[in-house]
Amino acid sequence: MPQFDIATFSAQIFWLFVIFAVLYFLMSKIALPKVGEVLERRQKTIEDNLGKARALKDETDAAIAKYEAALAEARDAAQADIREASEKAAAEQAKKTEALVKKLSKKTSDAEKAIADAKTDALTGVAEAASEIAREATEKLIGVKVQAKTADKAVSAIVGE
Amino acid sequence: MAGPLEQFEIKPLAELSLGGIDISFTNSALWMVFAAVLVTCFMTLSMRRGALVPGRWQGAAEVMYEFVANMLKDNVGSAGRKYFPFIFTLFMFVMFGNLLGMIPHSFTFTSHIAVNFALALVIFIGVTIIGFMRHGTHYLRMFFPEGAPIATAIILVPIEIISYFSRPFSLAIRLFANMTVGHIMLKVIGGFVGLIGILGVLPFALLTGITVLEFGIAALQAYVFTILTCIYLHDAIHMH
Repeated sequence: MPQFDIATFSAQIFWLFVIFAVLYFLMSKIALPKVGEVLERRQKTIEDNLGKARALKDETDAAIAKYEAALAEARDAAQADIREASEKAAAEQAKKTEALVKKLSKKTSDAEKAIADAKTDALTGVAEAASEIAREATEKLIGVKVQAKTADKAVSAIVGE
Repeated sequence: MAGPLEQFEIKPLAELSLGGIDISFTNSALWMVFAAVLVTCFMTLSMRRGALVPGRWQGAAEVMYEFVANMLKDNVGSAGRKYFPFIFTLFMFVMFGNLLGMIPHSFTFTSHIAVNFALALVIFIGVTIIGFMRHGTHYLRMFFPEGAPIATAIILVPIEIISYFSRPFSLAIRLFANMTVGHIMLKVIGGFVGLIGILGVLPFALLTGITVLEFGIAALQAYVFTILTCIYLHDAIHMH
């Protein structure tokens, strides 16, 4: 087997060390630092971009918060205005209603008084007429002259019943 | 027809010697150069633009980088960070060596015990030095676990010593055996295809399947070699 031919060992090992050493030098001084640098740069770029994105997001969040605060403030102000206006309108309305109610109730009471007066007058008239009729009827029927006072008393007693 | 072992033969391409020691540039060295050049081209050309959004080649190079980096981080932790270039070179060199060996008529330098054992020995010695540098003589506690009854030392210490010193052997032989056996199998089964006429489709189908499997093994054995190195490094840095 050629692998066990000791005569060839020195040449194999010599060139192995030479070539391996050269390759080690090329890798450690030239090839690997370049790869490492590229990988590091990529990592840094990614991190930078992530950082930038995060900063922009923070900025956006702040702007949104500001906008929302402004919106809420405007809404509150508008609602206060609406409340004030509606309260004013309600107060005015209440005043008008009160005045109207007063006016109407005065009219009603005036009318009631007029009705009551008319009723009293009418009742008085009716009682007088009844007593006169009663007196005349009594005289014509039985020839007795009844005193007006007595007739009034009798009529009012019947009406009062 | 060439025998199944011929593919492993070391052929000098240029005879060289240094102080009486043979250091000829062989086919093994040539394929190591190919592997090193391919790894270098892959890792530098694909990263040339260094784009923020990687293309296919850059993505592949980054995947390799992150794969090894994660392997090291998961197994050794942040203390292993400074050994990353070594671990990365080791993984890429072994994996490209294994994969280049899948090219017909190529040479698989990782199928040679001398190469694997030299790598494993460097790792073993390096890891042991790191262990003693970090822990001083306390590193000898590796051979006797904390909290074990003192009476068990007579059994535990020899076992631990043997297991510690067998690390470079297991590391080297595992890779050597996997690569060698796979390539012999491909060659032998490949030999049957032509020999038995129309029935040759059967070994050919088998060969196809085994080729796929061998590609998997090429990558897997590089991974195993590297992850075991990481585990040894973890032991040296954190002890048990």
